[in-house]
Amino acid sequence: MTLAMHDAPSTREPIASPARLRSGNGGFYRLNIAIGALSVPLFLVVWELISRSGIVNIVLFPPPSVVAVAVLEWIRSGQFFWDLLASLYRVTCGFVIGATLGVFLGILTGEFALASSFLSPLFHILRPIPPIAFVPIVILWFGLSETGKLFLVVWGVFFTVWLSTHIGVQKVDRGLIRAAMMLGTPRRRMLQEIILLGALPYIVVGLRTAVSIAFYALVAAELAGTFVGIVYRIEIAQQNMQTGQAMGGLAALGLISFLADRLFATLAERIVWWR
Amino acid sequence: MQPGPRSSAKLALAISQPSAAAIERAPAIQVQNLSIVFDTNRGQIIAVDRVSFDVSHGEFVCLVGPSGCGKSTVLNTIAGLEVPFEGGILVDGAPVHRPRPDVGMVFQQPHLFPWKSVRRNIAHGPRVSGKSAREANAIADDLIAMIGLKRFADAYPNTLSGGMQQRVAIARALANQPRVLLMDEPFGALDAQTRAVMQDNLLELRERINATIVFVTHDIDEAIVLADRVLIMSAGPGRILRHLKVNLPRPRSSAIMLEPAYLSLKKDCLDLIRAEGLRAFQQSDES
Repeated sequence: MTLAMHDAPSTREPIASPARLRSGNGGFYRLNIAIGALSVPLFLVVWELISRSGIVNIVLFPPPSVVAVAVLEWIRSGQFFWDLLASLYRVTCGFVIGATLGVFLGILTGEFALASSFLSPLFHILRPIPPIAFVPIVILWFGLSETGKLFLVVWGVFFTVWLSTHIGVQKVDRGLIRAAMMLGTPRRRMLQEIILLGALPYIVVGLRTAVSIAFYALVAAELAGTFVGIVYRIEIAQQNMQTGQAMGGLAALGLISFLADRLFATLAERIVWWR
Repeated sequence: MQPGPRSSAKLALAISQPSAAAIERAPAIQVQNLSIVFDTNRGQIIAVDRVSFDVSHGEFVCLVGPSGCGKSTVLNTIAGLEVPFEGGILVDGAPVHRPRPDVGMVFQQPHLFPWKSVRRNIAHGPRVSGKSAREANAIADDLIAMIGLKRFADAYPNTLSGGMQQRVAIARALANQPRVLLMDEPFGALDAQTRAVMQDNLLELRERINATIVFVTHDIDEAIVLADRVLIMSAGPGRILRHLKVNLPRPRSSAIMLEPAYLSLKKDCLDLIRAEGLRAFQQSDES
């Protein structure tokens, strides 16, 4: 967990810091940037060449140029905006609800042995059930309503956040708690400040993992019968044999969850402000 | 960044005299027949065996002994952190069951709150005891000046050296104006140079505050330099071997370690510890 935590700042460090450290080695640094900038364009060119070479069926494996046209059409029709909005709404609401519950119950089970004995076995059994396995029953329970979609995202987010909070609370430095006790910190303040902030680095790691999981759960949610959304659009495109559109949908999904992760990583550094 | 009304927030450490005359008559700390037994998977271990001693008001007492002699356990018990024990612990005549704000503690590790600046770490005690942020910050700023860390008032603990962190930890414990200050090998994790500076700092600080201090260490030099009285403990089970009065003049500094009077005291200590060590060694050989 700690490793994953340190991963947050380090992902942007390798680009920035080696240059500062080794100013005499600017040539290598520039080369690195240049190669980095080539990565995605080169991939697209190779893809384009393979698709058009005749080795593969161009209808099933359209080149990026065709995908781009399909995406532009998707955006121009105005559908993309509503699909994006619907998907982001489900992910955001599900994340906020799941994360709030997760942090709350994580502190409860992490701090109180009785709560942990009562809830942890249950949570550990329910935790491995992937949201997608719930799709059939969710359709029965909630029909095609948004509640069902939220349920699936909440399911995915909650357990991750709960577990990391639970572990975080148990890993709070006992010395800090003893020091706080000696200073006369009342019980409430102990939970709200010492335990919560002590566990915060772990909670943040859990929240960041949960961002990706929210997008996995979104796929399940939009397969559970809906009329708008990015994954829904991929599904429709598949039924209409619009492979370009389907791949464009995948690209959009990848890009959005990538941006969400980056955004959260930046945010995480501010949440744990003392690092 | 200095606080506004300094005068109102003058540290009342020097005037933290006991209010009731009855309290004044009782020793600051009374440890009576204290025994502590730990349950381990290899059976019960007697950590502390019928230890008794008193500490008078304003006295500086050092508990010295080898690792595992239970000296930290005794200290934790006085702090109210070690729950099950036999015997009696009285602070100002009142039995101790849980931590109380007029008993401060400095641990071997600083255990500063990493999310708080130096000022807010020190202000934590006054804040949780109901003082306004303004009052608490003024108390903190006075203590920051006392420990010589004005430049670092707004710094976070992870940017400070080990010695600075421990100074903040001492200031944080003093912010509650404790009548008793317990110190558990507070300089044990520091290098020799920093340690000597910290000892001098503590001696200086001690002239300005009026707290009773119990200081745990395994370093005999440290004990004699700092204390009015040294209690020498033996290990397995923890017992007090001897009380040793340190009649060296105050104010002191670590330079006193070169005085003949100091050296003869140290020789007494070492002889005692050597004899005890030999006895323990022979005992373990026989069994």
